Amino acid sequence: MASNAAVPFWRAAGMTYITYSNICANLVRNCLKEPYKTEALTREKVHFSISKWTDGKPEKPTIRSDSPED
Amino acid sequence: MGLAGVDMVIVPATTGQMGVLPGHVATIAELKPGVLSVHEGNETTKYFVSSGFVFIHANSFADIIAVEAVPLDQIDANLVQKGLVEFTQKLSSATTDLEKAEAQIGIDVHSALNSALTG
Repeated sequence: MASNAAVPFWRAAGMTYITYSNICANLVRNCLKEPYKTEALTREKVHFSISKWTDGKPEKPTIRSDSPED
Repeated sequence: MGLAGVDMVIVPATTGQMGVLPGHVATIAELKPGVLSVHEGNETTKYFVSSGFVFIHANSFADIIAVEAVPLDQIDANLVQKGLVEFTQKLSSATTDLEKAEAQIGIDVHSALNSALTG
């Protein structure tokens, strides 16, 4: 199956769908009235730990805790 | 949002507003920022969806997957206007493709929010 429709502009600029979707969601959250806006900002927080694996063993994990602003 | 039996939903697909009735052919569609309206009897409930997908199953079940879906009355019109102006300016001052894409996304989302509030 060859490609059908034109590539969306964000894909052409090198962005993935998930980045696009998260940017859209952040923009919508920033346009909310209070108190919905403060509730929404709590949904933007992420908290996860990553470990790189070498030779079948995990190295020390790093914890990523992002705030809404990149 | 949860499970409910309704008469029709109109979803903002990337190909345009799509009306989904019971018996709709099984489809997966990508959604663009826009208004989702749920029609039941004489009542319509509208939500703004930031982006996502709709899965329409063969047995007349439809799943709408969105990162953010807000009732229209939670949107602040002033913030939408400010955002639209801000991103229009960002587009004219953007240099890299990525900056232009981000500014364009900002314009698309804020215009969609604006039409949702005024439409």
